[in-house]
Amino acid sequence: MLDAFSRAVVNADASTKCIGGDDLASLRSFVAEGNRRLDAVNAIASNASCMVSDAIAGMICENQGLIQAGGNCYPNRRMAACLRDGEIILRYVSYALLAGDASVLEDRCLNGLKETYTALGVPATSTIRAVQIMKAQAAAHIKDQPSESFAGNRLRKMGSPVVEDRCASIVAEASSYFDRVIAALS
Amino acid sequence: MKSVVTTVVTAADAAGRFPSSSDLESVQGSLQRAAARLEAAEKLAANLDAVAQEAYNACIQKYSYLNNAGEANSTDTFKAKCLRDVKHYMRLINYCLVVGGTGPLDEWGIAGQREVYRALNLPTAPYVEALSFARNRGCAPRDMSAQALTEYNALLDYVINSLS
Repeated sequence: MLDAFSRAVVNADASTKCIGGDDLASLRSFVAEGNRRLDAVNAIASNASCMVSDAIAGMICENQGLIQAGGNCYPNRRMAACLRDGEIILRYVSYALLAGDASVLEDRCLNGLKETYTALGVPATSTIRAVQIMKAQAAAHIKDQPSESFAGNRLRKMGSPVVEDRCASIVAEASSYFDRVIAALS
Repeated sequence: MKSVVTTVVTAADAAGRFPSSSDLESVQGSLQRAAARLEAAEKLAANLDAVAQEAYNACIQKYSYLNNAGEANSTDTFKAKCLRDVKHYMRLINYCLVVGGTGPLDEWGIAGQREVYRALNLPTAPYVEALSFARNRGCAPRDMSAQALTEYNALLDYVINSLS
């Protein structure tokens, strides 16, 4: 497993170079944005169970067949497995966001995931839809701009000090990890 | 590759939980020290050739028998390889300063080190001498800030201990 720093080291070692000058600039900005990153991970971790249950519920609302007899979220036992898998995927995305590198997500979660789901007969389109919902939720929570019209009286705000750009770089990075999950499943 | 972040993530994954606030706290601690580490890495990268050359000269001066025929520093090829080895350790120290842990040294320098030097019939004392020279050569604030020098020296000590 690598993080942003060890990724730079592994790349430099491939050409037996030292890390200096320009290579350090991106790492310095990683350090400078460190608190934003930790706030973003905290935003996901603190809202995890809400995000997962909303994503799975949203996926089912759009495809009621899943909870009919013979559907993949019927009975409760399989619905519970679905919720568990949603949480696992979100957890590995939060690890990748903390590390600033996708290797933990790829090695420990996505490697072989598609094959497993195919063997178990889990529909890829539904899984991808749930991941897409989690991606939108993660962006909203990191920006601390949850949708008031959707959330209603259950609106939750982190209150973290996001500034004008609303942590755009971290939002983009988190979205890229969700995109990796979607790419791995499709 | 062992670093504060990967250690934290491994522990959280083993327990199957999201990163907790204490996890984030230890990552934050590592990031706070990162400025000094990256400064040391930058200064070392900029002067690595000179640092390695001085360290190499110091160890050959102390162990001058290495220049005798048949010894490890006797031919031009051997001399170049000795200097290269010192540079190799310095580069790994540069990596460790970037990562913020001893992962690169452990995985690429120290693992198997004893066996290799024994197989090639190389003495480790000259390496210790070269690295000890570098250990005492750095000076704050001439070369880098005091905190950066502390991080750099700690890694040199780590290699010296692994060789002795």
